[in-house]
Amino acid sequence: MTGPASPLVQIVADGLFTGAAYALMAAGLVLILGVVKVVNLSHGAFFTLGAYVAYSLSVRGFANPAAAAAIAAAVGYAFGLFMGRSFINPVRTHPFSVAVGTLGFTLLAEQVAQSLWGPHALSVAQEPPLSAVLGVMIRRQGVVCLVVSAALIGGLALFLRSRHGLPLKLIAEDEEIASAVGMDVERIRALTFAAASAAAAVAGALLAPATAIAPTMGRGPLILSLIVVIASGMERTGAVFGLAVALGILSSAEAYLLDPQWSYALMLAAVCALLALRPALPGLSGAGSDR
Amino acid sequence: MRRRRLTPFLCAVLLLLAVPAGRSPSAAGRGDTLRIGILAPLSGPYASGGSSFLQAARLAEEEANAQGGVLGRRVEIVVADTQGKVETARAEGLRLVSREKAFALVGAYLSEETVGAMEAAAASRRILMVPVAATAEITDKIRSERARYRYVFRAGYAIPQWAGMLSAFLAERKIRTYAFVGAAIRWNRELAKALKASLSARGIRSVHEAFYSPGNPAFDPVAVAAARSGADILVLGDPGKGSLEFAKRVRDFAPKLPLLSVGGTLGDGRVAETLPATAPLFVQAAAWPGGSPEATRYGEAFEKRYGYPPSGYSDTLPHDALAVLLAAVRAAGRLETDAVVRALETGSFPAVAGAYRFDPATHQALWTGGPEGLHGTVISWEPGGARVVYPHPRPPRPSRP
Repeated sequence: MTGPASPLVQIVADGLFTGAAYALMAAGLVLILGVVKVVNLSHGAFFTLGAYVAYSLSVRGFANPAAAAAIAAAVGYAFGLFMGRSFINPVRTHPFSVAVGTLGFTLLAEQVAQSLWGPHALSVAQEPPLSAVLGVMIRRQGVVCLVVSAALIGGLALFLRSRHGLPLKLIAEDEEIASAVGMDVERIRALTFAAASAAAAVAGALLAPATAIAPTMGRGPLILSLIVVIASGMERTGAVFGLAVALGILSSAEAYLLDPQWSYALMLAAVCALLALRPALPGLSGAGSDR
Repeated sequence: MRRRRLTPFLCAVLLLLAVPAGRSPSAAGRGDTLRIGILAPLSGPYASGGSSFLQAARLAEEEANAQGGVLGRRVEIVVADTQGKVETARAEGLRLVSREKAFALVGAYLSEETVGAMEAAAASRRILMVPVAATAEITDKIRSERARYRYVFRAGYAIPQWAGMLSAFLAERKIRTYAFVGAAIRWNRELAKALKASLSARGIRSVHEAFYSPGNPAFDPVAVAAARSGADILVLGDPGKGSLEFAKRVRDFAPKLPLLSVGGTLGDGRVAETLPATAPLFVQAAAWPGGSPEATRYGEAFEKRYGYPPSGYSDTLPHDALAVLLAAVRAAGRLETDAVVRALETGSFPAVAGAYRFDPATHQALWTGGPEGLHGTVISWEPGGARVVYPHPRPPRPSRP
């Protein structure tokens, strides 16, 4: 048996890798909340889409996780652009319509997935672990997750700080001014929505080999991402990454240390406590934002 | 302009939401049909099992109609989504009987929701065939409150029978120690307890037992602990999709540790072939193609109908539950609940997994082995497909000169 030195060390490692993928998804939600200013309940459907893209590629013999992530990004971007233009932009000023519409889109996507691939769980073969470092099992897919997620989130942070990110920041601050200076606000919003959807699809493709692929698989990651976004605030991409990883580790550690029936409830309690304390916590209050 | 862009999108969403999951209620009440209510979780965490349930029920319905129906009537199933909830199962069971005019019910899936379905059957005095739920509470209630629950029959295996089938297989493999891991749901804990009792009687020792939360399934730490247990084999008590994720983790941490799944998702060849073949992967099933001519015929029919083979558990048991019910109606000769109850109590009804007979006291199908009886099976996933490894397929009898 090639076992780890300590289960708790392994938990931290796995929480880091899995949390990295959820961070990518949460970063997409942050973008949508900041620039498009809507709560997108269809974000999990794009996660599912990415996983099914990875599955479809794997059954055709293309099992490279990076290639799957790239193709999932393209597909997610295309669907996101369609949805951003056809639905989100027209109704974004009506929060209730956005909530109902994006939820409806999620159900639609689940039905379509069920029609195309069936209701049963499907699977993508997972590559053998890379190696055991100090007794800790390092998975190839986990490393790819961490690297891709860190690169994309880091790239997003740099983009927002650069001259090219200025339109997004301006629209986030005041879209009337952005419009007045000649920016095509509608187009930028649709492109932002598409890019965020692509991020969710990439997260789904990256996690596909480790999980069971099913039509409703996006619901859990959506809730987790919403928690991360609410807890970290919409301003700090670094906090999004850190909190997603911390939540992944917390969730695993609780499941290991506590009786299963208590672990989920206690995780939600911890998140509630975090939300209540958020204004008082240094680094999470939104002060000193990247923007 | 905005409204024009929005309208097609909203129309598509609303149209989709308006499409019913089951059949139109307009078909209700036709005099020449025999309507059977199906209670299955078609949404929620066990929707995959519920969908298999429905697929198998449709197949049994089509087979019955291809044979000319039952008592000259066309069989029609009416479907309700239990959502995996006790109250929904109870309410939907009552609705199927009162509004959809179902003659009898088949369902539900989880033990918890089946207890709700039992209440609906008792209140409406309609037969309920339980295909999958294995908790002892079902047969305990039938035994202790006979007058109220006399309409309930369980076609699937009871927990002690299930444990007995698993332990017979493990004993034959000369296993000395085992670990048990499963989803933290009621029947799983009951199965772990029954398995421990059954195996200890055979000198097989439990070295590890753990459960993961279906709501927060952090598989890694549970898999790490199981891998460190040093067991000869890991018994995986989760027929749902969690078994797949957990099996992947176990293959990472303990690639040489044999796995025995209690059925379900790992019985799907499309899923099993994605797991590394570094150690044996066994799956317990009610029946499997190759195990008997009837199981082979069912497997071929299922694959032809749905494009992939059955899993041997969440489809086979519901198929048999409906087939046995319809056979009992034929045996009774009339559409009268009491007559069908008597037929079920006294008759023997061949189906995919074998010949179903019910214990008169508990209405539990007798999964107690024997050449013609119900015994279940265990398969081993190997490169190229599954092979029945238990019980050993009997060699053909030599023909006499």
